[in-house]
Amino acid sequence: MSRTPNGSTPLASGGFQRAGREVIARLGPVFALVLLGAFLSFATPHFFKIDNMANITRQSAITAILAVGQTMVILTGGIDLSVGAMAAISASAAAVLMTQRFTVLGLVVGPLNFELGLLVALVIGGLCGLANGLIITRGRIPDFIATLGTLTIFQGVALIITSGLPVPSHLTATELKGYLPTQMIWMGAGDVLGVPVAGIIAVVIVALGWLLLRYLALGRAIFAVGGNREAARVSGINIDRTKVAVYFLSGIIAAIAGFVLAGRMNSSNALMAGEENLRSVAAVVIGGTNLFGGEGGVVGSLIGAFIMGELGNGLNLLNVSAFWQRIVQGFVIILVVVFDQWRRRRLTTSR
Amino acid sequence: MSNETLRARDPEPILRMEQIDKRFPGVHALDHVNFDLLPGEVHVLLGENGAGKSTLMKVLSGSIQSDSGRISILGKEVHNLSPERARELGIGMVYQELSLIPALSVAENIFLGKPHKSRLGGIDWRAMYREAQRSLEDLGLSINPKTEVRRLDVAEQQLTEIARVLTAQPRIVLLDEPTSALSDAERERLFTLIGLLRQRGVGIVYISHRLSEVPLIGQRVTVMRDGKVIGSLAVKDADEPTLVNMMVGRRLTEQFPKEAHAPGRRIFRVESISLKASLHDISLEVREGEILGIFGLMGAGQPELTRAIFGLERRSAGRIWVDEQEVQIHKPSDAIRHGIGLLTRDRRMSLVPALPIPPNVTLANVSQLKMHQRVKLRSEARTASDSVKNLSIHPPSLSRAVMFLSGGNQQKVVVARWLCSHARVLIFDEPTRGIDVGAKAEVFVLMNQLTAGRAGIIMISSEMPEILAMADRILVMRGGRITAEFAAGEATQEKLLRAAS
Repeated sequence: MSRTPNGSTPLASGGFQRAGREVIARLGPVFALVLLGAFLSFATPHFFKIDNMANITRQSAITAILAVGQTMVILTGGIDLSVGAMAAISASAAAVLMTQRFTVLGLVVGPLNFELGLLVALVIGGLCGLANGLIITRGRIPDFIATLGTLTIFQGVALIITSGLPVPSHLTATELKGYLPTQMIWMGAGDVLGVPVAGIIAVVIVALGWLLLRYLALGRAIFAVGGNREAARVSGINIDRTKVAVYFLSGIIAAIAGFVLAGRMNSSNALMAGEENLRSVAAVVIGGTNLFGGEGGVVGSLIGAFIMGELGNGLNLLNVSAFWQRIVQGFVIILVVVFDQWRRRRLTTSR
Repeated sequence: MSNETLRARDPEPILRMEQIDKRFPGVHALDHVNFDLLPGEVHVLLGENGAGKSTLMKVLSGSIQSDSGRISILGKEVHNLSPERARELGIGMVYQELSLIPALSVAENIFLGKPHKSRLGGIDWRAMYREAQRSLEDLGLSINPKTEVRRLDVAEQQLTEIARVLTAQPRIVLLDEPTSALSDAERERLFTLIGLLRQRGVGIVYISHRLSEVPLIGQRVTVMRDGKVIGSLAVKDADEPTLVNMMVGRRLTEQFPKEAHAPGRRIFRVESISLKASLHDISLEVREGEILGIFGLMGAGQPELTRAIFGLERRSAGRIWVDEQEVQIHKPSDAIRHGIGLLTRDRRMSLVPALPIPPNVTLANVSQLKMHQRVKLRSEARTASDSVKNLSIHPPSLSRAVMFLSGGNQQKVVVARWLCSHARVLIFDEPTRGIDVGAKAEVFVLMNQLTAGRAGIIMISSEMPEILAMADRILVMRGGRITAEFAAGEATQEKLLRAAS
């Protein structure tokens, strides 16, 4: 503790140094993003082009959106391995309803319009998230196992809903409309003043997540539960309710990501976003959130998602084979976390 | 040399510790301590918690290194003690905290790290069980050596631990508060065994803070206080007042700045609280401005009582009133809503280490909000800086994680939380555990301030001096029941101990 002889200044030079270190540590992911971008701009002429930037943004947006829910879950000390599956099941179910006619209680309905379809997706995503939360808190089983289980369950249900085919599909006879609502496609592939809509959606959701974590009682509870479960309990925080809330939010957010992804691909399928289950975790961790909970935030995760997107895109442009790309990405994740643990130790030991 | 000649003619100590010095950050744990032990002697080491007894023994058993000083065993100086080296030299230590492995059998624990090998290199289970059985019988224990340790009660575990140490046939045995979990009969058995070891010429260091045990067992007694040896004397010259004086010095008046406040209305009442198996029919009440002390030895049920009152554990019976209104407390947030605050026995159980002071101070208020409600950051910062000022928390930085604060300052942050939640009934569970002397006095001043502000305090403590000095009334617990009640003036250490054991 830096106590000066007169005992008055808590922020003596040691304090400033520490504050400086904290800022650098916070901005670490931003530096990484910029450095990687600078390197790629030199390495390949195709990287720093408007089209390519938009492309990276569209790809990274999906991960970034999912990472917002994932961040909140990880901050409580949990992990949600089913985010990609929730995105797929909610978007696919909505896609089926928006392209086909079906009967409910003898009434012929559909195809649904975009707004109702989105509502259905949000409800399904929310229910899936709620199921995760309840299984974890009521069943008293580890988050990892619970969401690993629901991951395959959601995929299975989504396969049943879509009959294992892309929606819309030209192979199914019952097909009514051969395309998804234009608003949905706009979400994934549209632009506003040259800025990809997907990127705007991601930024808005990150902003909402930031506000929630900073200003709402739930945000405070999330940090407390992940930072010290016992202390949260003694302070009157309802741990189970907090956990259910973050998984619920993760499900809702996944539904939005599902819409963006399906819109970008012009179709939805039951197994899309399978890579996102783990990519979102990687984005959160690269963004500086402690995998054990209690420290971090959504802005870092947004940067983390873009680092992953930039890296994948850059490797493509450099003609690195898809096989090697996986290896490089794996190493990057490990290195980032090793570095993160190292700086955390430094922050806590050099007081 | 036979044991007899060793004892009769050779006054040469088997152990001599000279000028042992050890500092921890902020504490002079051992201040040039001298200590020796004769063969066949029980040397009682007496002192309050934090006096340095356990530290001295840990130096001797090699689990911590002293900064300076000499240790000789059988006249030969030893260096670089490690736990293995200490064991080779014939030093056996029975720790205060149990160090058994719950999922292993009694026999496996006794021979942990040195199992009997069969000729093929496997473990000779039959020999191991046989040997274990024998050493348990030496202690008068009828435990099946195949039983898993977690199925034993605390006393049996403690005796198992002693059995483990004795199988190594040590020349020097260190017993750190061995009777804290034992019943009278078990204690008798332990004392018989100690007598047996003495006859074999084993030297025994017996750490205790129970004065009543000294004449029953020891030949010599050394008193420590604040890391120093206050004095050594023969047990026959050591009457209780002398020892108490040596143990507490003049600190009784200096250390506890108790201010009495005329107790006012009854603000809190508990009737017939029970907790399955661990608490039976406990009733108590607290008045405004009053400190109710609850004293008990280890395992008497004090932590369970706290948990039951605060809604951390489901009660099997009992009713609670706050301000003469019956309240339903099923979870901590119910207790908080009704103005009850809990200072946990370990501060780390109360704080979120990575968060700075403000959110830690307001956590009990924020937990009363609905999830979608806003935390008013500006008024939170104001509240926190007021608390920092009023409780003189140092350093007064509002942006720094509380894990960087010292123990005493962390304790203040927890107190600030309950002031902020307007708690009027505060449960202080072992408030001075693990903080140094200066910080202790500050905690007591704080308690005075709280009672002056008409709060009522339930002070749970196993430190007799502090509870005698601070409490207006004292309840004594034993086996999950209240066994006695004393007014401030009429309680003494002896009375408390008698009611507690």
